[in-house]
Order: sequence, then structure tokens, then C-alpha cells
Amino acid sequence: MTDQLTVDELAALMKKGAGITVDPNEMEQRPETPFEVYGLDSLGLLGIVGELENRYGRPLPPDADRCKTPREFLDLVNTSLMAGA
Amino acid sequence: MMSPGNRHTRSAVVTGIGVVAPNGVGAETFWKSTVEGISALDGVSREGCEHLPLRVAGEVRGFEAESMVEQRFLVQTDRFSHFAMAAADLALADAGIGEGALGGTPYSVGVVTAAGSGGGEFGQRELQRLWGQGPTYVGPYQSIAWFYAASTGQISIRGGFKGPCGVVASDEAGGLDAIAHAAGAVRRGTDTIIVGAAEAPLAPYSIVCQLGYRELSTCEDPDRAYRPFTPQACGFVPGEGGAMLVVEDAETARRRGTAIRATVAGHAATFTGASRWEQSREGLARAIGGALEAAGCSPEEIDVVFADALGLPEADRAEALAITDALGAHGSRVPVTAPKTGTGRAYCGAPLLDTAAAVLALEHGLVPPTPHVQDVCHDLALVTGTARPAELRTALVLSRGLMGSNSALVLRRGADPS
Repeated sequence: MTDQLTVDELAALMKKGAGITVDPNEMEQRPETPFEVYGLDSLGLLGIVGELENRYGRPLPPDADRCKTPREFLDLVNTSLMAGA
Repeated sequence: MMSPGNRHTRSAVVTGIGVVAPNGVGAETFWKSTVEGISALDGVSREGCEHLPLRVAGEVRGFEAESMVEQRFLVQTDRFSHFAMAAADLALADAGIGEGALGGTPYSVGVVTAAGSGGGEFGQRELQRLWGQGPTYVGPYQSIAWFYAASTGQISIRGGFKGPCGVVASDEAGGLDAIAHAAGAVRRGTDTIIVGAAEAPLAPYSIVCQLGYRELSTCEDPDRAYRPFTPQACGFVPGEGGAMLVVEDAETARRRGTAIRATVAGHAATFTGASRWEQSREGLARAIGGALEAAGCSPEEIDVVFADALGLPEADRAEALAITDALGAHGSRVPVTAPKTGTGRAYCGAPLLDTAAAVLALEHGLVPPTPHVQDVCHDLALVTGTARPAELRTALVLSRGLMGSNSALVLRRGADPS
């Protein structure tokens, strides 16, 4: 595992935590497509945030679970991880 | 309770039946097993349950959730909601309401379910994470998956049904109360209600919760574990699954050109206290009387009774007496059946399976038998062995809960002429 969250990892988390199958290539190409379009609701994103916090052993910014798109979420998570590294 | 005065011109009818039961998935398979008296009672085989003192149950084994419900709805819900979502789909298809058919009128369709215990299996898994790993390992879907209201909510979200929705938590007999609630909503103006109950009480935590019930049968022999109305009655066997029905306004059904299967004619409920079976005699008799009155139905018009059939001698005696208290001499002549001895009692799902069987019995003119039961020791014409052909116009469905609720529902075949 790298210290940066990748699109592939996010797609895997969406599958595991919320049962949503997303093509990582599609998400990479259209990172502005809202989570809502994929069917990921706020509880689903909250679960992903919790999973990442357990994995990295530290909290993510409080508004992490309010991100609307994969780009917004990846930017926030990766900025936070870099700052903490 | 419905009263004859407020029935107006709107009448609530059953147009679709969706079943997920131990003896079959889908109304047709369920009916075939029920009418043939095939029992699905067997040793408990669900994971983590094999060592528990409950030895026999009615498990739903022929159900593949993945083939019926999308993964994202499965991940965030318990097995009891998986059953309910699948049964709702089956009921809608049975009623000829295809996917997207209601797209233009989402507010005309509501959802009502009854639940006795919520999502025990999902809850156990998350609580094990809480105590085993810590609070941050509990998934957020725990907040909704265990909840009594989960199935109503998920059916509504998944199908986009925005009409009146509700959850009835009134003990096992709440399954019948939910149907009455749906019929009331239809009479008040909603076109269609998807109503029913399905339960999944066969998981370790859920079974442990039931072990304290003195009414629970811990007999190891599937043929002997659940034999109500016999001298050998030793309690009830739990089951899982249930049924969802499409209940709609008769005029709406006629406009759609769909067959009206049965009319929800009358219902009444009473409460007599937890495990006070002797008192349930009066409570059940009063519920029957109230349901008959609401339906404008005389005792002699009842052609078949689907009994609660708890399986404890004092409870069976109370029910047999309640039937004759309410129906008079007719009570010991009318065919009585308890097909649930072949599936186990799925708590709130049980009266739904009985209601589904009652509608199918009215349609087929056949009273299904009571599996495993032979020598009846009460003054009841219990149908045993094989199904009995009969001209059936009106059915009475009875249900009691361990916590003291008693309900009765009167169904008439086809559209109610009154």
C-alpha cells in the first residue's frame, strides 16, 4: 500500500463497503462524476472514511464524508495524508 | 378497526402475492408445497447456530439474494430486508406492475411492513466488531440495518415509492395489523400499498434471544417438534421468511385490468398480555367478532379458518375455544388449517404466509393440510393429511403473538360485492 489513496483503491472500497461496482478507469477519466451518480450515499462514504482512518491509524479531516465527487475526496484525503507524513 | 360505515366506495383488494418461505420462493412454489403438505422443518444448519439448544427450524434455503436484489442494497441491509425486498418484487410482478410502471405516480404507492425483531444477524456482526476491534470498526449501515423500519425504508427507496409508508411493531400478530393498516391507507385515498412482513430470526444472537421463550420447541425431531392441537404439542418451531402483498383500491385494479384476487374485508386486534394464553381465548374471540362485524360477515359465512396454532396445550385450547366462542356451533364444523406447521412460525412473517395461503386457497377451492398433525384433541375440524376441496368464499386468518397481541382478518374471494 502506498501512502496515497488511488482511484483503484477507492473503487475497491466502494465495492467492499457499499456494494457498488465502479470501473476505476471510468472514475479516473471522469473524477467529477458525483458519488451520488454511482449510488454511493452519505453512509457509504462515511464507511469508507472510517475504513481509511482505521487503515492509516489517524483521523481524516471532519468534512471528508461530505465530499461530493471522487476528485474532491481523493484530493482531500491525499493532501491530508501528505501533511501528516 | 374497519367499520362498515367508512368503507365508502373504495375497497382494498389483493392483486399480487410475493412469497419467500422455507417451503418455496414465489407464490406458485409456496402454494404447491403448502397444498401438498410438504414440510420444510429440518435441523438448524445456519452458521454459528448448530450447537444451540434450538434443534429444528424452518430455514429459507432456496433463496439467492444476489440474483434478486442489487449488491448495494444487500450490503447495507440484514437478511430480513433481503427477504422483504425480494418478496416485494415478486408481489409487484404478480400484480402485473412492472419495473418503472409507476414512474409517473410515485406518490400513489406506499409501503407498510411489520417487524418483530429487526436485523439480528447484521447487528450481531457489527456488535462483535465493536467489542472485538473497537467503535471505529462498526460500519455506518448498522444505524439503519438492524432497525424494525429497515425493510419499509429500503423497499420504498429501491422502488421510488413515495406514498404513505409505515411500520407496524405490534408483535407477531402485527403482520395482520399491517394488512389492515394498508387497507385503511387505500380506503383513505392511496391507490396502492405494498404490504407484508419477512423475518430472519435464525442467527446465533437472534436464536439466543428466543431460548427464553417457554413456548419454544426444543424437540430434535422435525416430525414431532411442532404439533399444535395434539396431545403431544410441545411448543412452536421458529421459521424465517414471509410474504409481501400488493393491496390496492379495487377501482385502480379494475382500471389496470388486473385480476382482483381477494378483498380485505375486516380486521380487529386485541391485547391480553405476554404468555397469558388462557386470557388469549377472550382476546382472540373478541378480535374475531370485531373482524366479522367490520366485514359485515356472519359466523356461518366463514368457510375456512387459518389458525394461529401456537403448539402449547393451553394456548391451543384457548384458540379452539375462542373459535367456537366467536363462531358458535359453526366453529367446530368449519375447516380449520395451520399450514405453518410445515414452515415454522416466522414471527410477523407467519400471518403473512397464512394470508398468502388463504388468498390462494380461496382461488383454488382447496383447504391446505396441517403437516405433522394427526390426532387432534380439540373440538375443531382441523384439516390434516391431504388438502380438502371446498367452495371457499370467505377466509378468517388468526394470529397471536408471544407478547400478547391477538388479531383476526377476514378475506373474501375476488371483489367484495357489498
